[in-house]
Amino acid sequence: MGHYSDPPLLVLASLANGPKHGHAMIEDIELLCGTHLGPGTLYGAIARLEQLGWIEPLPPEERRRPYRITAEGLRVLRARLTTLHRFAGAGLERLELS
Amino acid sequence: MSPALARLLARLYPRPWRERYGAEFEALLLDGRGGLGTAANVVWSAVCERISPTQGGKMDRDPLSFGGVTRKPSAFLPLAMSLTALAVVLGHIAIYGAAREADEGAAAHIWQLLMAGQIPVVAFFAIRWLPRAPRAALGVLALQAGAVLVSMAPVLYFNL
Repeated sequence: MGHYSDPPLLVLASLANGPKHGHAMIEDIELLCGTHLGPGTLYGAIARLEQLGWIEPLPPEERRRPYRITAEGLRVLRARLTTLHRFAGAGLERLELS
Repeated sequence: MSPALARLLARLYPRPWRERYGAEFEALLLDGRGGLGTAANVVWSAVCERISPTQGGKMDRDPLSFGGVTRKPSAFLPLAMSLTALAVVLGHIAIYGAAREADEGAAAHIWQLLMAGQIPVVAFFAIRWLPRAPRAALGVLALQAGAVLVSMAPVLYFNL
């Protein structure tokens, strides 16, 4: 099994501690979970998250544009991570019982 | 990555996407690692974007473009009716053969209904969209005419 890969969730998690531009997101996600997102995958996720209103663009800095997570994005991220946390807990519990 | 390659890869994306994300995407490509893996990732993402456009951010599709007009029910319904009529004829030929029958069967009636039923839809489309988006509407009408010809071809060929 490879690294965890759900690009939109990874982008939301990366933006949870502050706005970032694309390159910073790629590096942060690699540190966070070891997944290297390609630029095409990253911008596919960014475009969809922006469409959903879960992230929003900030004014560009030179040619780089930072993004920040919205309140709705934070709510979605918290809900998804809570589900994952519950899932991981249940899975580990079963491993301990076996 | 070289600026020329970054620009070339960004150009693989549809124009609305490039207008919204092109500059920052090229900047990201220039910042990041180059290589075959990155290029393959961008090519694959650009193909996906062309097949299933995101329309995120400020990329709302122009409703008068060819793609926008094609999404109107009066544009795609006649196409669907012609293709259904074609499927009916081909299905009939596959099951009963291409021999001409003295009495018209159910397949012939369905085919006739589908072909005749689309005439008011096509007329509605032409009246509504030709004045608003002439180029796109003409393209859609050409497609509709092509679909009619394709669905008529087996009928004429086998003299059904």
